[in-house]
Amino acid sequence: MKRIILSILLISIASFGSARLVGQCDAENLSNACIPKLSGGFNFLKSYKIDGQGGAKDKIEYSYVFTKGTQYMINLCAGGNGPDGLVVTLYDSKRNLVASSKVNGQFISAIAYPCNATGIYYIQYTFDGSATYCGGSAMGFKR
Amino acid sequence: MAIAALFLLSCSPGKKPDEQAFEKSLDSASNQGPTIDDEVIGSILDQIPSPLEISALLKKSGIKYNASLLNSPDNLPKYNSNFKMALNLGIYGTDLGYTNIYEQNQGGIKYLSAIKDLANQLNIGQFFDIETIGRLATNSKNLDSLLLITTQNFNSINEYLQQQNRSNLSVLLLTGGWIEAMQITCQVAAGNPGHTELREKIGEQKITLEQILLLFSFYENDENMASLLTDLKALEAEFNKINITYTYKESSMEVVDGVAVIKDNSTTTIDITDEDVKNIMSRTNSIRNKIIS
Repeated sequence: MKRIILSILLISIASFGSARLVGQCDAENLSNACIPKLSGGFNFLKSYKIDGQGGAKDKIEYSYVFTKGTQYMINLCAGGNGPDGLVVTLYDSKRNLVASSKVNGQFISAIAYPCNATGIYYIQYTFDGSATYCGGSAMGFKR
Repeated sequence: MAIAALFLLSCSPGKKPDEQAFEKSLDSASNQGPTIDDEVIGSILDQIPSPLEISALLKKSGIKYNASLLNSPDNLPKYNSNFKMALNLGIYGTDLGYTNIYEQNQGGIKYLSAIKDLANQLNIGQFFDIETIGRLATNSKNLDSLLLITTQNFNSINEYLQQQNRSNLSVLLLTGGWIEAMQITCQVAAGNPGHTELREKIGEQKITLEQILLLFSFYENDENMASLLTDLKALEAEFNKINITYTYKESSMEVVDGVAVIKDNSTTTIDITDEDVKNIMSRTNSIRNKIIS
């Protein structure tokens, strides 16, 4: 009898857990999937998880010291083919706009940034009409 | 359900054996907690550029490979404390990146072995699949995969250490890596006076050093880190003579083959003399010698 009750309880927990998993953002998987999508010649540097928690978070920000003379590429990966409303925007240390992956209303999956000014830059991810608020990104460099 | 949860919890050890061993193995000094949130530390750590960028610059500039610039893997037995192990793990990491970029496979394997040894002693050896990396290192055609996998391994280590609230080791690892990259660049610059790009590369490290100093300021209660902070501040005094002028100008953009290609119109000018390079090199070597000896 005890065994039956325990089994029912364990099945209940497992079902509850799996129900929670549905719709969860697997940003780690998406950021890893982005790494091989870096264009040829770019060496991998970082992968970034973008989890908007279903819309509860409107932006996710990272920062990095970019150096003059180096070209960086930042790409975006969402569940489907396109970036699903995911936008990456680059700001300099004084919060001046440097680059955005939304160009003339079009969502682009990658930006290439040949850096001409060394400094700390903010890499900000936002959601513009995103269905999943979930994605990943990878950054690479080449000289 | 609560009973079942309790049952499950009682079956779970809470921490994996390797985590317990890891925590047990920490120096008493490195157990001193930071005075700031780990998330803040993580975001600063994330900013520190990869030493691989410097190695790539050296190769692209036509500078020849020079093994004598690196810390010999034979020094490994000298590193007995977690403080020294974490710093030298960073140093060997930079050396591995340098040998990889220059496709010096045999040298790379020696560094890989030293790294694996240190990582095992710090209980983070699970992040290095030495068989896969060793196999990749035997063929120069695998360079891209080799660079990718080693970068991923170090990123995973840093993430893991931060998750475990052991960011201090992450700070040491990155600092060791940065010091080694600095030392290599300074030595090469000294041998190539008039190489403006190398000189500027050294000068712009002022920005990274500021971030490292900020990180160290959170661990002033840690005796070892406080001592290293004093040395880093002496290095900062040399960097304070360098002026970096930033001029912002709006960038332009065009889409090429599905990629938004930016034309950066901003500039930085870095005022650094050969004398500055010499002084920075002297301070850097002094710090590095303390770490590797």
